[in-house]
Amino acid sequence: MSIVGLEKNTGKTECLKYVLDRLPVQTKRIAVTSIGIDGETVDQVTRTQKPEIVLRKGMYFGTSETHYRQRRLVSELIDVSDENTSLGRVVTARALTGGKILLSGPSSASSLRRWMSDMRRLGIDLVIIDGALSRMSSASPAVSQSMILATGAAYSANINTLVSKTAHVVDLVNLELTSEKNCDTLSQLDKGLWFIDKQGELHTLDTMTSLSKDIHFQGMEDCETLYVAGALVDGFLEKVRKNKNLKQVELVVRDFTKIFVTPQQFRLFIKAGGRISVLQKSKLIAVTVNPTSPSGYVLDSDTLCARLSEAIRLPVYDLIKNNG
Amino acid sequence: MQLKNVIDSPCGLRFMLDKLELQSGFARRWLLDSPMMTQGEEIVAAYDILHQFDTFIREVDKTYIDTLLFRLQGLKDIRTTIKNLHNQAVLDDIELFEIKHLAILATDVAKLLDKHGMADVVKIPALDKVIDILDPDGMKIATFYIYDSYCAELKDLRADMRQHPENQDDLMLQASELEEGVRKDLSKQLHPFAADIEQAQIALAQIDVNMAKAIQMREMGLVFPILSHDASSQYESMFHPQVKEALATHGRDFQPVDITYAMQPTLITGANMGGKTVVLKTLTLCQLLFQFGFGIPAAAARIAVKDEIYFCIGDEQSVEKGLSSFAAEMKNIDAVIKASRMNKRILALIDEPARTTNPTEGAALVSALLKVLSGKDMSLVMTTHYDIASSEARRLRVKGFENGEMDYQLVEVQDGEVPHEALNIAQSLGIDSEWINMARSLLGASPQPV
Repeated sequence: MSIVGLEKNTGKTECLKYVLDRLPVQTKRIAVTSIGIDGETVDQVTRTQKPEIVLRKGMYFGTSETHYRQRRLVSELIDVSDENTSLGRVVTARALTGGKILLSGPSSASSLRRWMSDMRRLGIDLVIIDGALSRMSSASPAVSQSMILATGAAYSANINTLVSKTAHVVDLVNLELTSEKNCDTLSQLDKGLWFIDKQGELHTLDTMTSLSKDIHFQGMEDCETLYVAGALVDGFLEKVRKNKNLKQVELVVRDFTKIFVTPQQFRLFIKAGGRISVLQKSKLIAVTVNPTSPSGYVLDSDTLCARLSEAIRLPVYDLIKNNG
Repeated sequence: MQLKNVIDSPCGLRFMLDKLELQSGFARRWLLDSPMMTQGEEIVAAYDILHQFDTFIREVDKTYIDTLLFRLQGLKDIRTTIKNLHNQAVLDDIELFEIKHLAILATDVAKLLDKHGMADVVKIPALDKVIDILDPDGMKIATFYIYDSYCAELKDLRADMRQHPENQDDLMLQASELEEGVRKDLSKQLHPFAADIEQAQIALAQIDVNMAKAIQMREMGLVFPILSHDASSQYESMFHPQVKEALATHGRDFQPVDITYAMQPTLITGANMGGKTVVLKTLTLCQLLFQFGFGIPAAAARIAVKDEIYFCIGDEQSVEKGLSSFAAEMKNIDAVIKASRMNKRILALIDEPARTTNPTEGAALVSALLKVLSGKDMSLVMTTHYDIASSEARRLRVKGFENGEMDYQLVEVQDGEVPHEALNIAQSLGIDSEWINMARSLLGASPQPV
């Protein structure tokens, strides 16, 4: 499970703390790590207070050598990876007492995946990933099965904007899975643009990415499914929407982290009857809010939770308020 | 010269390295840092070890081999830690963990090899005492922390910590002082074993490399060479693994070649596309593989040791550096001539020298080169398209184009006449007939029907 913040200071670390405090360490093997450099005691960008993570006895964790040396708990070393991050190699250990630690784990999604397969070998039941700023990749279903999204006044201080921007992300995370048949045909294709016609035949488009300026949808009258293996961007979505041959087409992307379109363009596409689906999906468990922005501006917590919950049809929690 | 200095030689050595399935990054680094062997005994000893690993992987059960390979994946590069230990620094928890991890790994691998009588092939120093120091509770697992049993006072403090979490920060500070004392003591106890630990790490890399080489020999069909005691080298059915693989993807076979050379300069002539350059590439590759102790791509090979190996081929990199292709080539060959005066055993493989200049001067340069280099302590194999009148050189010729097929075999010929097959070959490639026929009529031959 990954915990992702839409912006710095949206309460992601608070959320992680909240979750860790409530997990059944006696019955489950739990490991915690972070992607990239995170977990400084004071936030390096905005200079606001940032809590260390408190681990409970028995929890496994992955952090950098530098932060391991600064730990304030007794822990047993299990592994030191070959991969170097800016804070040294990634160290895996098990907490023998409760205590505080700064988390800074593997620095890329692929090294994170390697670390997670090591955890599987250790018999870990649940890995929790503290996703760093703008590292949506850690929430990719290729890495984690489920996620918690942290949003708040730091993302936008205007309640309407905050609700609509957050709802957009939630819409993307909740995109439907495509059919199993499409999945089988498409999941091995890791680059390029492809389409499947009415006869179920797979064709490739000459253009490699959706970023290209000269995309022609020729010979695609029979197209049923259009697959973008890489990033999906505004211009491409607009072209699909305006092409009359592609009105009934199902647009497929690998997962929501590959979608880089503005809420406006996305809404226009859906309104025009367009369909977008994904090959892989993460389960969104909950959304948390931090109504306080680092500049000191505070939104009304109850209104915010209610408005957001209504927009996304999912439970929304203000953990700081509810946690006293 | 280390392997990493020649890895990008145009002979295709990198391909062999890329196909070598090493289990650990440390073994790869160790291999790349290894020096080229220039002593016959040294090379024989290296092949003797490889021979035993070759027998080992052929005779021992596969699950057993897989276990050993899997264990070798745990080999880490802990040279910095070992250096700190040598320098009597106080090691931190991570460094102590690394040493314990290596000691347990070395002991496990030694046990696995010992079961099949392989313990003496690559000696791994016994590190039981190191394990004892770092495993006070006798758990025999490769994890580490400053155990309670190192220090009674520390044990009490930690118990206190669990009882009174509210005092944690205070107690933690006291505990960290005691822990530092334990680390100091452990580092002192471990210091005498620094050399053994270092040796164990190298031995494990050596085992990894030998296993990988032995497996590669089997997969690519490579052979053990015989050390030649004179200056002559001899290959039967020699092939180039990378070219062979590339041909196989097009459904074609590589035709192996027999070749012998000694101190007399060898001149290879033959039609275009007759594989002359591939012969030089393969000879270079084989010589390097030999002096770094790899299997040789041939059915049989007897190879002489050299101090220096020169492979001169149209070098695109020099052209990128701004040198003309002629200038780059002249500089390369110049280095060979200079080296030939240094009293060293040299192998020089030169592909079509002076080919980019006019044929009159080109042929003169090649003839003169043969005269300058003959009689030196060197083996020279050179390809050319020029008619060279030379009494110094022995001549080999690619059999060439017969019945619409290329025969890549080399045959010894007496005269200096070079084959005139360029037009036939161009025609078989479907090149414009007006052009080819015009060339024929200029040569005074009658045009051939298409």
